[in-house]
Amino acid sequence: MVRLTDLPDYERDHLLSKNMPPLGPPVWTTPAKPVNQMRFALVTTAGLHYRDDPAFDFADATFRPIDGVEGPDNLVMSHSSVNFDKTGFAEDVNIVFPLSRFRELVATDVVGSLADVHYSFMGAGLPPGAYERSAAQVAGLLKQDKVDAVFLTPV
Amino acid sequence: MQPPRALWVTFPLGRPLGNPGDAAFQLDVIAAALDLLNRSEGPVLEDYPHDAPPIEAQSAVTCPVSFAKDTGDNGSWKTRLGREFSQLKPWYELSYRRRGGRTLVGISDQPPEQNIRVLAEQLDDGVLPTDITWLKRAVEDIKAYYTEAMTAQPGDYDSDALQAQFWQETSFGAAVIALYHQFQNSNDDQLKLIARILAPRGAVGAATGPEGEKTQ
Repeated sequence: MVRLTDLPDYERDHLLSKNMPPLGPPVWTTPAKPVNQMRFALVTTAGLHYRDDPAFDFADATFRPIDGVEGPDNLVMSHSSVNFDKTGFAEDVNIVFPLSRFRELVATDVVGSLADVHYSFMGAGLPPGAYERSAAQVAGLLKQDKVDAVFLTPV
Repeated sequence: MQPPRALWVTFPLGRPLGNPGDAAFQLDVIAAALDLLNRSEGPVLEDYPHDAPPIEAQSAVTCPVSFAKDTGDNGSWKTRLGREFSQLKPWYELSYRRRGGRTLVGISDQPPEQNIRVLAEQLDDGVLPTDITWLKRAVEDIKAYYTEAMTAQPGDYDSDALQAQFWQETSFGAAVIALYHQFQNSNDDQLKLIARILAPRGAVGAATGPEGEKTQ
């Protein structure tokens, strides 16, 4: 997240108006194994999906699966916000969805393994509570995939 | 939100891992985040200690196309946008090849050349688009087409300079700002909201063409 002082006034005010209370009591789990034995999934709110998948609507609490089979270069972005620059993502998927980086970390035994399926939401237009149902669904899918930890990239 | 472990970074919105193409820096950000798994208690909110490496000044935006600053008096929207799109086409195709077939164009069901023609006709006829989903996806696709063409050559690009060039110098940027004002000036509150999903307010305020001056 960028510094508030680096944002234009209207964008700073917009973000500060979203100052929400915590969703619930703090959640904390101590890992039961070292990072190099853990299975990771990537979850982003960047509005990513494969080209043939349905694009996200302006305000949309659904999610899209991203498997590790189809190359990340086939990902497109239908995030509805106009307040950030997408050219960095056009140049390099990894600045939003670092699948290549995590594959390198698996190859060098820094992390244990990667999930079969990763997930993308679209983080604009809705309060956090609107995502509760689909977030719970993704949590269940991640458990089914034996995922130990999730690397979240907010956009 | 209070997530259990969070690494705060100073990078611009839309770039949570830093700069494109800088794998070493991206890995360092990831390593700092993974290190949070070693903490014995939380929630943890830690500052990542580095800014993204600055873009070299000499490699900041040199656009392959010289946009004639859009003054609004050089023809119909159809002529202005058609001419500009044709100028960008070879650069978009070069970008497509350089990026190994990677492009963000394709959210809309129709190709950008068709969408820009329809948009231009509606602007010339003074017709406000009614299919908002089509409009949003068409605008995003054409914007992606432009920015990918403008960054066709390899190198680092300053994000702010690129955005300024798109919104303040291209006819399509002026067209979207014209649409922004049409929705903003509507009597319907729902239509006023549509303006906000077309162009950032900073770009509208900074526009100095005839469409931008309407914001004064």
